[in-house]
Amino acid sequence: MSPQSVPRFDHGSRVPGWDDAVDLTKPPATVPDPALTPVSDELRAGIEAAMAKYPDRHSAAIPALHLAQQEHGYCSPEAITEVAAVMRLTPAYLTSVATFYDMFEMERKPKNDVYVCTNISCSLRGGDEFYAAMLAAADGGTDVNVRSFECLGACDIAPMASVNGEFVGPLTTEDAGQIVADLAAGRPVLEHKQLRYRRCADPGVESAAGEEPQ
Amino acid sequence: MKILFDRIDEPGLNTLPVYEARGGYKALRQALTMEPADVVDQISKSGLRGRGGAGFPAGRKSSFLPKGDMSKYLVCNADESEPGTFKDRELMQKSPHMLIEGIVIACWGAGISHAFIYIRGEYQLQADILEAAIAEAVQAGYIGEDILGSGFSLSLVLHRGAGAYICGEETGLLDSLEGKRGNPRLKPPFPAVEGLYAGPTLINNVETLATMPHIITMGGEEYAKLGVENSAGTKLVSVSGDVQRPGNYEIELGTSSRELIFDLAGGTFPGREVLLWFPGGSSSPVLTKDDLDLPYDFDAMAKAGTMLGSGAIIVVDDSHHPLEVALKLAKFYSHESCGKCVPCREGTNWTYKMLQRIETGEATPMDLDIMASVQEQIIGNCLCVLGDAMAMPVGSIVEKFRAELEAEIEAARARHDAGSLEHVIPVGVADEHAGPIPVH
Amino acid sequence: MPRPEQKTISLTIDGREVAAIENSMLVDAAKAGDVEIPYFCYEPKLGEPVGACRMCLVEIEGIPKLQTSCSTPVKDGMVVHTQTDRVKGAQNAIVEFLLINHPLDCPVCDKGGECPLQDITFGWGLGRSRMLEPKRHFVKPLALSPLVAIDRERCILCYRCVRFSQEISEDYQLIFTERGAHTFVGTHDGHPYSAPFSGNIIELCPVGALTSQPYRFRARPWDIEGAGGICTLCPSQCNVTFTVRDEKVLRVLSRDSLGNPAVDDGWLCDKGRFGYQAIHVDERITRPLVRDGGELRPVSWERALETAAGLAKHTGRTAALAGGQATNEEAFLIQRLLREGLASHDLDCRFSESVSLELARALAAPALQATVPDLEFAHTVLLIGAEPLDDAPILDLRIRKGVRRQGVQLAIASARPSALDPNAAISVRYPPGGEAAFLADLENALAGESDSAPDANVAALARQLTEGGEDIVIVWSERLASAALPTLLRIAERLKLAERDGAGLLELPSGSNGRGLREAGFLPNAGPGYGDPVQAGRGTAEIAAAAKAGDVTALYLLQVDPQRELPDRAAWDAAMHHASLIVAHASVLTEGLKEHATVVFPAESYAEKDGTVVHPDGRLQRLRTAIAHPGEIRAGWQVIAEISRRAGLDQGVLTGPMAFRQLCDAVPFYADLTLEQIAGHGLRWPETDAASKLPAGAGAEAVSGSDLERLASPPAVFDSSQQGLRLGTYRSIWAAPEVELSPALHFTIAEQLVELAPADAERLGIDNGAEITVAQNGTRLSARAAVRSGVPNGTAFMADGIASDSANALTERVVEVSPQ
Repeated sequence: MSPQSVPRFDHGSRVPGWDDAVDLTKPPATVPDPALTPVSDELRAGIEAAMAKYPDRHSAAIPALHLAQQEHGYCSPEAITEVAAVMRLTPAYLTSVATFYDMFEMERKPKNDVYVCTNISCSLRGGDEFYAAMLAAADGGTDVNVRSFECLGACDIAPMASVNGEFVGPLTTEDAGQIVADLAAGRPVLEHKQLRYRRCADPGVESAAGEEPQ
Repeated sequence: MKILFDRIDEPGLNTLPVYEARGGYKALRQALTMEPADVVDQISKSGLRGRGGAGFPAGRKSSFLPKGDMSKYLVCNADESEPGTFKDRELMQKSPHMLIEGIVIACWGAGISHAFIYIRGEYQLQADILEAAIAEAVQAGYIGEDILGSGFSLSLVLHRGAGAYICGEETGLLDSLEGKRGNPRLKPPFPAVEGLYAGPTLINNVETLATMPHIITMGGEEYAKLGVENSAGTKLVSVSGDVQRPGNYEIELGTSSRELIFDLAGGTFPGREVLLWFPGGSSSPVLTKDDLDLPYDFDAMAKAGTMLGSGAIIVVDDSHHPLEVALKLAKFYSHESCGKCVPCREGTNWTYKMLQRIETGEATPMDLDIMASVQEQIIGNCLCVLGDAMAMPVGSIVEKFRAELEAEIEAARARHDAGSLEHVIPVGVADEHAGPIPVH
Repeated sequence: MPRPEQKTISLTIDGREVAAIENSMLVDAAKAGDVEIPYFCYEPKLGEPVGACRMCLVEIEGIPKLQTSCSTPVKDGMVVHTQTDRVKGAQNAIVEFLLINHPLDCPVCDKGGECPLQDITFGWGLGRSRMLEPKRHFVKPLALSPLVAIDRERCILCYRCVRFSQEISEDYQLIFTERGAHTFVGTHDGHPYSAPFSGNIIELCPVGALTSQPYRFRARPWDIEGAGGICTLCPSQCNVTFTVRDEKVLRVLSRDSLGNPAVDDGWLCDKGRFGYQAIHVDERITRPLVRDGGELRPVSWERALETAAGLAKHTGRTAALAGGQATNEEAFLIQRLLREGLASHDLDCRFSESVSLELARALAAPALQATVPDLEFAHTVLLIGAEPLDDAPILDLRIRKGVRRQGVQLAIASARPSALDPNAAISVRYPPGGEAAFLADLENALAGESDSAPDANVAALARQLTEGGEDIVIVWSERLASAALPTLLRIAERLKLAERDGAGLLELPSGSNGRGLREAGFLPNAGPGYGDPVQAGRGTAEIAAAAKAGDVTALYLLQVDPQRELPDRAAWDAAMHHASLIVAHASVLTEGLKEHATVVFPAESYAEKDGTVVHPDGRLQRLRTAIAHPGEIRAGWQVIAEISRRAGLDQGVLTGPMAFRQLCDAVPFYADLTLEQIAGHGLRWPETDAASKLPAGAGAEAVSGSDLERLASPPAVFDSSQQGLRLGTYRSIWAAPEVELSPALHFTIAEQLVELAPADAERLGIDNGAEITVAQNGTRLSARAAVRSGVPNGTAFMADGIASDSANALTERVVEVSPQ
């Protein structure tokens, strides 16, 4: 499914199921019985490890959903049911949590995520134009999920995007095609524009130390 | 004077050996020799105010925690989501151990044995770096049982969020950390009394905590000499938008805003002028070019009717229209409203729709009055500050740029032959059913 | 646990001095001072306030910002303003915000006329909207479950329904999904919100977003009247209000918003909320029936009464059984008829084993009785063989409340996994029928031999009971083997439950009015008030045998069909076949009556009866006539009195209250009661002075002698090498004729589900949901397999009390289960 076929609001969040009735033929979704809910060993171990980190197992909901999304590609009803079985919660609990947060996808989506910041600082410097370019570049059967995102906390490289978690910027509309190409080739994306290599803007940083870093 | 950003680009600073080589964790050793009350006392004396947005005195916050043997928690708020703010990101990425050291010191001072860092889910690189740093610190005995033989024990867990601005609000963050939807809680009870898992909880911003080792090293009184009255110390300021050198700058509080924007961040692009600027993230009421000479500190900003907030300056130059800014703001806050309380949920959404109407040429100047009134109806009536965070800047734009907005209303009306509202609100399937309504 | 003390303080609201309970919420305190503060999301029943709707903002002197009065505890000397311009401005603002996306479709809304949003808009709104944009529009209404329709346009996201699901019934199926203005109430992946208490969300909804499917468009508030009553569909005996239009019950609501805190806390289960439909169904018998030419035919009252008066010919050979929905008065009059008029002494209202009179008295001792609120404030609540969700559903919510809000430690000892297991600190499983052995182990462990306890859980339970605080409430089911009861009594003595107000025993009887029927003397070995009977008679199982043998020739069945409801279906089939006269009172013809009854009198429903019932904790509650009797139905007491008269015993009863007076005169510990006293919220007789008139039972040691011998032979050790599985039975909340008759509840009608452990299912080659056959001694039942992790290996649980393939066809402890 291409990103455009997932119905979305103009700001990127999903169109919720306001118009959907329940399916009365389904049984109520209670806490899944572990005996009837197979879960991969890896996912189970990951969720159990997360639960062990907190005084209250509920705290592991978000980490567990991250893991399930990784394994299933998105927070499918099955993925949520599996997490629910391991965490001994109702699937509804996790659906409620998952739909609150922007990073959880409730619909099947392409594998690679490109979150384009379209908030103030980026849009002042062309974020919206880049978003349009990115949508166009990803269109047509690429495995790229483009979403307009709120401020990602990297206004110093505005306009920017997060490509599978890697922050890149400042971007021009030409970079959109490069991102798609890099993703398709499995290369690091726009390596020269990655935030991880960027130095601090404050000119006093080095002089304060009295020495130049290597 | 660089304190937090001192040699911040030093290669390998994110690893323990480099951090230790430059004196890292000495402050912790020193703090562990002090009485916890003395640690809090030094922080109080330093005059350090919270760097996350509210600017509450950090020492006093610590002192609110009840004494006793109950489980107490510290949560480091690393959900840096305020538009325009990116200082914690750079700090965590480049000097994670400074934050960890600060956390251990703060916990020792307040008698806390469980600490969490709530980092926004989008900061994946920073979270990975922090996780590695925590592992190193555990290995080296800075975290865990009986830290450095002091008898003090502390666990530290990194918790990744999943994308929700409201989780930066401290009680929304607590609910999120407890594995729920990140809805803010009713206050009182305040987190210091009943916070995470209903235990007393101290919540501090990354920058606040990262400053603590330096306060211990320098001594509170020495630190207090930096900056100006009521705004002690240095501050990381994120400058972004229409400036030539956007980035983080560490300044002493009280530095002139013009110096910050023009000398450090390079100022506007040639031929452009400042139209408006946000002094403390997108939630702060906007200032204009007339305010550029204000000293950048808590009191001066409050006096100017705005706030220092998270220390994020967004500059908008005159190539943009104030409507564009207001629209972005309203869209952002209506998207990020958690939906729990009525004025915020409905008010942000309504404001966004009204602004869209201006853009599509279907508004009249009277709508500006309604909009101003709606902002007033939001301010002070919400469960948390998110509603106010939209209403204050949008209200200030309507107030300060009324002439420009009125002109835009007329211009847009001329541009569009305003007839029906069908295309006005492209929000969702809902409106498919909505028929056009007459425009006055 | 100590209950909260209440201190009265005084505060000023709008210039008026108001006395209020310290730390109560300002919005409630204001009500006490006759000041109304509007609100939507606040509902004290739901626990901590959420402060989401912001409707209740007020000005409090000394606090700069407006405060939500729903979340502000009042303090002495507080000065509050609710009428200032600032407060009014905020109220106007909130109403305007609420209405910008509300459809204002009041003329077609079911809530219209009884809608808080409507009322508050009129009272505190500005009367106009400045919103010009189109509202949100959605498809509506949509099904949320077979019982509840949802209209998301009207929803104001007040949190009430989701809080109920998450924090009261704790089923956590109903949720908010999405965020901000897009938030909506929903479920996971389109599953229906189907749970035993789901209907409460309809009553909680302050707008017309959640409406009752059966009540939709049946009436407007000005068409209806409310009539107080008691739901007798289970022993919880919740206090209800019947919504009546044209002498028909159209809806059942909780009595008032806070309910009766001593009984139901203001909640109802779905059986109680929707089971009223059985009152107005075509299947209902509304004329007397007499068997004529092999079939039951409607006849005149005269003929029916004359036929029933034929009981006189069965003097000494009549037996009677009473079902749980009978009132005290009806039971009392029938036991008089039998004992005084027909010289027969075989009558029973207990359908499992009989309990000796001494033991029954000891267990009924007033000091030993726990109350419903005790469940909430006990240190420990121990359930033995009881499943509150099925036996007395509303207590399930009460126990959850205690655990959640007061930190009650819950311990569960049962054969079958319990719905409350996730809330329990300790859960002990014993094999079906193993309760006596379990209690013996527990007693040993309590006696300090805990190291010898065969099960670490039993040792932990003993520790909890001895060290976890003195206020212990033991909830036990009538279904416990009577061999277990002496031990139970000794444990109660050892734990000194009689000595503390907040501690005690609470028995969940099988029948709704099980306690009242016993106190009225409907027992083979006890007269009214547990007095010595004129002569001891046969109990339930013996009556069946005697009827088959011809020693009992007439049966009087008061709202009970033994074939449907009692153990050993085959024995009852034979007994009823052999009886030459069967007089029954019934609402509908269940199969045993259809086949065997000689004369059937139409029974009143609980909305029609005038009489009293007794709650499991000893509270007498009054049923009042809420609707006119349909058809030719006459009052039960009147019919019984008339049959008695014709059979030669003039009971001297001309009105319902006269029957009550007779009952009170006959039951010594009811001596102080009057109908006026028990109106309203009812009255617990164990709290009256006359309570001491209950004949004292013998001490635990004395009653236990003979019973202990029975204990010497514990249930046969199960041989797992056999093909069979141990059989345990349960009666689901939905196993009731009223449920089958109510169209709205059809979806809950239970087919036979056999609960199996995963290991057993795998060994037997049975998949979850597969059709299976259960066989025993040539009896074969069809069922569906339900594989459940919690079920102990080697055990199968089956439902009884259901319409088809009920487990009461099985009499042995072991069944063969095989795929079909």
